[in-house]
Amino acid sequence: MRQLRVLWRVCIETVLGVKRSGWSNWLVVSILAIALTIFGGILQVTMTLKNVVTAWGSQLEISAYLKDGYVPKRVAREISQIPNVQLVEIVTKDVAWEEMKSTFKVASLANPLPNTLHIRVNNPDGVDKVASRVKLLSEVENIRYPLKVARKINDFRHFIEIAGFAITAALSAATLTVIGNTIHLLIESRQREIEILSLMGVSPFYIKGPFILQGAAYGAGSALVAIGVLTGVHLYLDPYVTEQIVSLAPFLAKNLEYGMWQTFAVMLGLGVLVGAGGSAWTSGRYIKI
Amino acid sequence: MIRLQNVFKDYGGRPALVNINLHIALGEFAFLVGPSGAGKSTLMRLLYREETPTSGNVFVGGVNLNRLQRRQVPLLRRRLGTIFQDYKLLPKQTVFNNVAYILRALGVEEKEVAKRVQSALSVVSLEHKTDAYPDELSGGEQQRVGIARAIVNGPPVLIADEPTGNLDPATSLEIVQLLERIAERGTTVLISTHDTTIVNAMRRRVIYLKNGEIVSDVDSGVYELEPNLNL
Repeated sequence: MRQLRVLWRVCIETVLGVKRSGWSNWLVVSILAIALTIFGGILQVTMTLKNVVTAWGSQLEISAYLKDGYVPKRVAREISQIPNVQLVEIVTKDVAWEEMKSTFKVASLANPLPNTLHIRVNNPDGVDKVASRVKLLSEVENIRYPLKVARKINDFRHFIEIAGFAITAALSAATLTVIGNTIHLLIESRQREIEILSLMGVSPFYIKGPFILQGAAYGAGSALVAIGVLTGVHLYLDPYVTEQIVSLAPFLAKNLEYGMWQTFAVMLGLGVLVGAGGSAWTSGRYIKI
Repeated sequence: MIRLQNVFKDYGGRPALVNINLHIALGEFAFLVGPSGAGKSTLMRLLYREETPTSGNVFVGGVNLNRLQRRQVPLLRRRLGTIFQDYKLLPKQTVFNNVAYILRALGVEEKEVAKRVQSALSVVSLEHKTDAYPDELSGGEQQRVGIARAIVNGPPVLIADEPTGNLDPATSLEIVQLLERIAERGTTVLISTHDTTIVNAMRRRVIYLKNGEIVSDVDSGVYELEPNLNL
């Protein structure tokens, strides 16, 4: 009970410390909020891309576009003889053109689409082998398969991940400096008070605790601001992005997005960690008891 | 209650205290006197572990302060009431909150805090000034708040470092008489001062320090500028 009362008093001292800090509160929260918004955005994008890659990569299908003048049925029969091929579906150029015209407004011109074969493979390991065999066929103009696209997306994701985390690390370092300086100024302005408390026998926890909690409060406050910004961006962009994904790759599930709550929890945790860590370091360095 | 054994303290080779041997018993009231630079404040700082001796041992309440770990220092200071020349009050806190601060930091229940603060303020006759801020008080009143803060946790030892240094003679005497009344309740009180008037008015134990050495230690003594050696 006594410990709880001490903790309660430390919280009260923290609130008083925040009040005393004035405008510097806004400076710290703004900088940390920017860093956390960038971090949260990157996390959300990279994790969503990862889900896209997984969903895309799990599509065991190859599309083969045929050269003009070949009979699709004959080529389909030939392809169905390749090991690991489970099914070959023919989409003639006429059917594809009709489908396209019903989906999009297209100008009245000659059908530019090729005859297409959708080849279903029976296991993921066989996709590359089947693709390389199909590509060698003289009747085949080009092939596309999701696994190949997935690999490209994955490379892009890696790039965003590395660049994003480097930016976040740099911003976090800047934030640590700002938090450190703010807490340092606060410690300097309360140096006499700290000396008195120390001489009275007040414990180091009671003296340093409010500074560390203040840093943690900065982290939590900044995370909430960043979460607000990301939620706004999400609500604004989500319908557009979903529409784009569905039109580009209809086979993808709609809920590919990495959980927002998970992103928010990570942002909050990182904010509190950076805030409390920066303050703890500064308190340890400048409060000599 | 306070014991120093063969204590030496120097700062970069410059001696501040030289072979100090001293014992102050429980409930005793004593003055530590001497000119500026005699080592009074250094000796006081050793008692609340703001400094450590270069050699020798310092005991307070039976605890050897040399063996005290850093994290145990707050525990020692809670058992000591310390009074300073510049009062060291928290300027943005009321009289009540200044006195209550340490109790709250120790997690004492608010009802008990109120009771103990009122009791400490009544000892120093300031129970009517609970809501005042330090800058609204006279020097003597501020020092009395400092005394109330020092005794609120019921320490067995009170040490006062030049407590009357900033006060006029009449107020100084009042403050010292107040400390004497506190000593009569069984608290050991050690006051460092270079104020001859109050020391001579009280006729209590006088320990004379000069150039870091105890040159005189007399019960019911007076403070002479050049004391007869009487150890």
